[in-house]
Amino acid sequence: MHGEYKMPGGKLVVVDLDVRGGRLAGVRLSGDFFLEPDEALRAIDRALDGLPAATAAAALADAVRAALPAGTAMYGISPEAVAEAVRRALQPEAA
Amino acid sequence: MRTHWRDHDWQLLHDAPQAPALHMALDEVLTDAVATGRRPPTLRIWEWAGAAVVIGRFQSLRNEVDMAAARQHGIEVVRRISGGGAMFIEPGNTITYSIYAPASLVEGLSFQESYALMDAWVVEALGELGIRAWYQPLNDIASDAGKIGGAAQTRRGGAVLHHVTMAYDIDAAKMLRVLRIGREKLSDKGTASAAKRVDPLRSQTGLPRESVIARMVDCFRHLHGLSRDTLPAGELARAQTRVREKFGTATWLEDVP
Repeated sequence: MHGEYKMPGGKLVVVDLDVRGGRLAGVRLSGDFFLEPDEALRAIDRALDGLPAATAAAALADAVRAALPAGTAMYGISPEAVAEAVRRALQPEAA
Repeated sequence: MRTHWRDHDWQLLHDAPQAPALHMALDEVLTDAVATGRRPPTLRIWEWAGAAVVIGRFQSLRNEVDMAAARQHGIEVVRRISGGGAMFIEPGNTITYSIYAPASLVEGLSFQESYALMDAWVVEALGELGIRAWYQPLNDIASDAGKIGGAAQTRRGGAVLHHVTMAYDIDAAKMLRVLRIGREKLSDKGTASAAKRVDPLRSQTGLPRESVIARMVDCFRHLHGLSRDTLPAGELARAQTRVREKFGTATWLEDVP
């Protein structure tokens, strides 16, 4: 499943994922945003993997925020934008 | 402590055309060299040895690039170390440069302020060429006639890399065969056609590419000071090693599949 969200005034945030047993699996974040350090990308993927697919957007954003390495800088992307891309991947008809 | 442009002894590198993967590696090697103080702050003008698609650090290869089309057109696909979007490059069609600066130059600045600072000289250079251009957040260089180029920054240790690609000329039809540009990406750009998003420098200046570059370099030298440098054999060798171990490998290209 594939979700894209162009954050207003930001960059394109893309999430590819599967759902297995009601949980997010194989979550892969990508896009033309700016994110430092490099490792933050995989930290976000790991934070979302295994969460129930029914998790509310605010809780998804919280999970992303909590997983960011110390000193992470985001430009053109936010935890909320990642959550919105996940939501769109799960409900493509609503995108 | 925050430093200013004139506090530094800026060097100019402008070498013969190099392969796309080597350019990626040189950006990493030279940024690290400035970060550790082994190299003074540097402006590098790129010359391209071949056509390329350069994707951003966090872009999905599959989502961004039609690899079969790229192969068919003989276009090398590489991933750079900075974020941002995909660029379609043909030798002679783009003006690309990197600024390797000590982090002190942008200390305490937000991302937006630091893009504005690093783009200011080229905005002035474009103005001298008769183009009313400006830095358009988050990372574009825009003009009345449309987007001219895009910048990307990454901060590594004690250095910041700021590189920019500007369209001198563009084969928009070929670009659209190779790059996948989705509707969501264009949703807040106000244009229906991706090809119309970029307006090249050739039509706006009427000058040969080499003249545009020469005027840009003159402007940088006038504003910030600039001495001519040549790429030391050691740095070239380090970059070639980095191509073999990283930038030329499928592992790196497909790091975000």
